[in-house]
Amino acid sequence: MSTPILKVNGLEKVYRMGLIERRETFRLEADFEIAEPKIVGVMGPNGSGKTTLFELITGSNQPTAGEVMCMGKNIHDVRYRERDRLAIHYHQSYQVRHFAKRKPAFMMQPAGSDYPMVHLFDEPQFNTQDGYIGFMLEFFQKLRSEGRLVFLCVHPNERFHLEILQEICEQFIFVRHGQLSHAPDFETLVTEEPVREYLGELLH
Amino acid sequence: MAVFEAQHLHKRFGDQVVLEEINLSFEAGQLSGIMGPNGAGKTTCFNVLTGRYKPNRGKVVFEGKDITGLSPEAVVRKGISRSFQIMNLFDDYTALDNVVVALPQVRKRGFDVLHALDGHSETQDRASEILRRVGLAGREGANAKAMSYGERRALEIGVALATEPRILFVDEPTAGLGTEATAQLADLIRELKRSTTIVMIEHDMRFLFGLADQISVIHWGQVIAQGTPEELRGNKWVQRSNLGGLA
Repeated sequence: MSTPILKVNGLEKVYRMGLIERRETFRLEADFEIAEPKIVGVMGPNGSGKTTLFELITGSNQPTAGEVMCMGKNIHDVRYRERDRLAIHYHQSYQVRHFAKRKPAFMMQPAGSDYPMVHLFDEPQFNTQDGYIGFMLEFFQKLRSEGRLVFLCVHPNERFHLEILQEICEQFIFVRHGQLSHAPDFETLVTEEPVREYLGELLH
Repeated sequence: MAVFEAQHLHKRFGDQVVLEEINLSFEAGQLSGIMGPNGAGKTTCFNVLTGRYKPNRGKVVFEGKDITGLSPEAVVRKGISRSFQIMNLFDDYTALDNVVVALPQVRKRGFDVLHALDGHSETQDRASEILRRVGLAGREGANAKAMSYGERRALEIGVALATEPRILFVDEPTAGLGTEATAQLADLIRELKRSTTIVMIEHDMRFLFGLADQISVIHWGQVIAQGTPEELRGNKWVQRSNLGGLA
């Protein structure tokens, strides 16, 4: 079998607070695999861990445990400057890249790719007035048709946001309190109670 | 035939990728438009195409020759000229002088503007002709700083034309212009288009869709869509937007 594009193995990120008694304030856990090119919709309330998940996948955040394998390479072992050749994180209009550098480049692996295989779009600015939505959606589909994996994180607050997700996403991840639930399609996704609660009025 | 091509351009500033895998191709005799939201990388792209920045990877090809990494001056000598989003004029000089100093015969001889104006009516005639082309006939003696914003915009295009470009790059020509001045500028560009290959960055979609033969949409430092205005308008979401209603 060929190497999956993305494999997230027992990934954990734990944030703690306090000096003496280290109290856990946030825990994100993820364990999944996406073998084939796809457009994956990601949703979840603010603070649920969506951006942290993206940062862990692109290697800009260090996991507490587990690993992210991108095209068979552990992203956290790839040279900092080359990590974005495997997985790239776009926050709204800009690309995110803040690496806390811990190891010199010669101790790490090259990415072995010129153009990223995994593209994570974190709340791109969609507005119905300017027409850019159409161009962005075409771009996501182009990336997918080239054999890449696209994550599209949207925080739906208007009806058309759901239309977009429904139109182009082939699979969904819902993040809540640092826990992921996976749905194979939009219909299945919206049968889940926490999702219904989160989307509220938009579903009617 | 493509006169100008960008192939696999990649530009980084430190940790930030500003241009990622840009491929563009501009046809002779056409007006090619570049649009995109703020911060998308449009101006950086222009800067790489016109020699102000060197790309980290990729090639810029003009008339079949690799011009990647040539200085802006060398790029101008090849026949590529550019007007800027922020205007570059000699404020204390007249409109005519601004054009005269950009003429190739004057640049070759050196920067002695007064000398040029005193003795060489040929250069003056040439400069007047250019001012007429950009709609500034009769304004030869006006000081650049005394001109209206729209006139300065036209003058700047005149200065770019004075270098006798085979391809003209125009960066956000409508920036800061009112409705009337924008309409005048559209007429001017439509006129220039008949004789010059033009590449234009523009924010005003109505303006761009009315003038361009081909449009490339840049976002996240990448070309996310390309096509004729009709093709781009065909997208369902574009139809639903304000652009959908544009004639």
